[in-house]
Amino acid sequence: MIWSIAWKNLWRNRNRSLVVIVAVTLGIISGVLLVGIMKGWVEQRVHDAIYNEMSHLQIHNTEYLKNEEILLTVTDTSELFRAVEALPSAAGWVRRTKIFAMVNTPWANSGFVINGIDPEKEKKVTEIYKNIVPGGGEYLKAGSRGEILISDKTAELLKLKQYIVTEKSINNLKDENFPVEIIARLESLKDRRFRSQKDFREALREQFNKKELDRYGLKIIDKALDYRLRNKIQVTISDIAGAPVQGTFRVCGIFKTRNGGFDQANAYINSGDLADLYGGEVYTHEIAIMLKDPENMDQVKEYLTGISAGNSVNTWEELAPDAAMMNDYMVIYYFIFIGIIMLALAFGIINTMMMAILERTKEIGMLMAIGMNRIKVFSMIMTETIFLTIVGAIIGMLSGWLIVELLGKSGIHFSSWGEGFEAIGFSAVVYPVISADFFLFIIILVIVTAIISSIWPARKALALNPVEALRTE
Amino acid sequence: MKILELKEVHKIYNGSEVKVHAVNGVTIDFQEAEFAAIVGPSGSGKTTLLNLIGGLDKPTSGKIIIDGTDLSLLKSSELIDFRMRNIGFVFQSYNLIPVLTAKENVEFIMSLQRRTREERDKRTYELLKAVGLSDRMKSRPSKLSGGQQQRVAVARALASKPKFVLADEPTANLDSKSASTLLEIMETLNHEEKITFIFSTHDARVVKMAHRVITLEDGKVVSDDVRE
Repeated sequence: MIWSIAWKNLWRNRNRSLVVIVAVTLGIISGVLLVGIMKGWVEQRVHDAIYNEMSHLQIHNTEYLKNEEILLTVTDTSELFRAVEALPSAAGWVRRTKIFAMVNTPWANSGFVINGIDPEKEKKVTEIYKNIVPGGGEYLKAGSRGEILISDKTAELLKLKQYIVTEKSINNLKDENFPVEIIARLESLKDRRFRSQKDFREALREQFNKKELDRYGLKIIDKALDYRLRNKIQVTISDIAGAPVQGTFRVCGIFKTRNGGFDQANAYINSGDLADLYGGEVYTHEIAIMLKDPENMDQVKEYLTGISAGNSVNTWEELAPDAAMMNDYMVIYYFIFIGIIMLALAFGIINTMMMAILERTKEIGMLMAIGMNRIKVFSMIMTETIFLTIVGAIIGMLSGWLIVELLGKSGIHFSSWGEGFEAIGFSAVVYPVISADFFLFIIILVIVTAIISSIWPARKALALNPVEALRTE
Repeated sequence: MKILELKEVHKIYNGSEVKVHAVNGVTIDFQEAEFAAIVGPSGSGKTTLLNLIGGLDKPTSGKIIIDGTDLSLLKSSELIDFRMRNIGFVFQSYNLIPVLTAKENVEFIMSLQRRTREERDKRTYELLKAVGLSDRMKSRPSKLSGGQQQRVAVARALASKPKFVLADEPTANLDSKSASTLLEIMETLNHEEKITFIFSTHDARVVKMAHRVITLEDGKVVSDDVRE
C-alpha cells in the first residue's frame, strides 16, 4: 500500500513532477552521452595503443628506452626469438630496427623514426596495413627494395599531398549529384595544383560562399586530394659509426591512424633496406608481441623477463601509461560525471518534495493520527522520492542508451578540432560506447541520491505534530 | 464493561502571557458500545478532550486508561501503534486520502496492520456496504459528495475494529439529509459492531440521538446525562 500511495502521490501535481522527471531524464541522457563519448574515446585510444602502436608486450635493451642509440639492441636475440616463436599464447610477433631519420623532398623536410620491419610479420602485431588511406597506394611489400610507407601527416609535411581538381574528380562529384552551378564554378579551378589544403581552401573560398563551403567543401577537398605516390624522398640517418648516410626511397603507401603524433613520428621500410643504409646486419631494437588473450600478459611478461637478461619486457600499460590510466580510472570518471549531475538534480528533487510535504501537512497529520508510524511515513516519502527520480532515470537511461547506440554506429565528428584531438592521440570521430555496468552504477547512484534527497523532506514530515497538522487548511 | 477511563485529567496550554486551562480536572469513564456526545460552547475544551482521549495530545496531569492501558506509560512509537489498533477517528473535514479510492481508503489502516488481502477485502466490503457505498468502492473522494466522503471516513474508522471511535464534529460540514443518514449509519454500526462512539458536537441532531450527553464548560464537566 505504501508503494501504491507513493506512486499515486507522484501524479498529484502532474506538472511539477513532470518538470523534475524531465530534468532527471535530461541529466541522465547528458551523463550517459558524456560517459559514452569518454568511454568511446578511451576504448579507441586503448585499441590504438595496442593495435597500432605498442602491441601487448615489447622487449628492448634495458638502456634503449632511456637512450635510443643504434647499438643498444636487444641482447640474446636468437634465444629470445626461439622463445617468442614457441609462445603458445602469442598471436604474432615482429622485430623492429628503429632509427631516427631526417627526411626531405624538394619542397620540405621533416623527421621521423624509421621502423625497419618484416611487413608480413608486422601485420600480425599492428593494424597499420589496414590503415592505408583511400588513394594512398599500398602497404609495404615483403622483400620490396627502396620503398617506404609514410603517414598522411608526414605526406602533408613533406608536401606530398596536393589538391587538383581534375576531370576525374569533377566526374566523381557529378556522380554524387553535385549541383550543376557548383560544378560550373569548380571548373575555374580545374588542373590548378595546390600544395596544401590551406591554399586549396583559400581558393575555394573565392569561388563559394560559407554556406556552400560548409555543405560541399569537405567532399570537394576529398575528391581533389592527390597523393604524390612513387615520389622519391631522401632519408638521412647516422650509420653505426655515427656518420651521416643518405638513401632515397619511393613512397609506396600512405597510412593514417587516429593518433597524429604517432603517425608523424613513424615510417616503415623493409629491415634489409635499412640495414643496407646504416651498413650492418639487421639490428633488433624492439620486439613487439601480440597475444591471443591479453589476460595472459603479465604471465608472459614474467616468463620473458626470466629468460631475457639485459633486456626489459614491458606491457602496453607501462609503455602507454596515459591510455592505461584513463582505462583504469573510467569508474572514477563515471562517478564524477554522474555525481555532479545528480548533485545538481538533488536540489530540484528536494525542493519538489518539500513543496509536496507542505501541501499535504493535514493529510500527513491524519495519517499519523490514525496510526501510521514514523518509519512508514518516512518510507512513504522516501519511496515517493525514489519513484520521482527513478522514472526520469529509466527514461533517461533508455534514451541515452538509444542515442549512444545510434551515435556508436555513425560516430560523432569533431572535424573542427580534429587536428588537436589527433595530436594527442584521440580520434576526431568518436564512437560512443556504454556498458551494462554503467547503467547499474547509474541506478545505484540514482537511488542513493533519491534516498539522500528524501531525508530533509521526510524529517520535515516527521517533525509534524498530528494535532497541529490536522488544524491546518 | 469499562473501556475508557479519565482520572482527574488536566490540560494547560502555556501561552506567552496567560495560561489556558483547556481541560480542568475531568474524571469520566465510558462503557463498551456507548453512543456519547460531548457538547459545550466553543472553547469549552471538547476538541482538546477528544485529542487527549485519542492519544494525540498528552495531559498536563491525570491519567487516561484505555482498556486497562495507561496512555502515559506508552512510548511515542507504542502510542501510535496503540492508536492504530484501538481508536478510530472521524474528522470534521473527512480527511480521506485523495489519491486512493473509497475501498483503498478503508483498507489502508488494515494494510498498516498487515492483514491479509482476503481479510481486507471482506472487511472493506462489509463496511462500505454498511455505510451504503458498496457501489462506490472504486470512486475517489473527489467523485463523492461530502456526506459520502464522511461515510467512507466512518468505514475507515471502523476498519481496524477499534475499541471506540472519536468523531470531532462529524456533521458540521454536512447538509441536514446527509447528516441524518450518517448518524443513522453510525448508530446502526454502534449496535451491530458494539463499538463505542464519542462525538464532540454542536449539532442538535447528534445530541438528540446520543444515549449519553456530557456537557463541558471551561474545561470542566458540568453535566453527564445518560438516557435510556
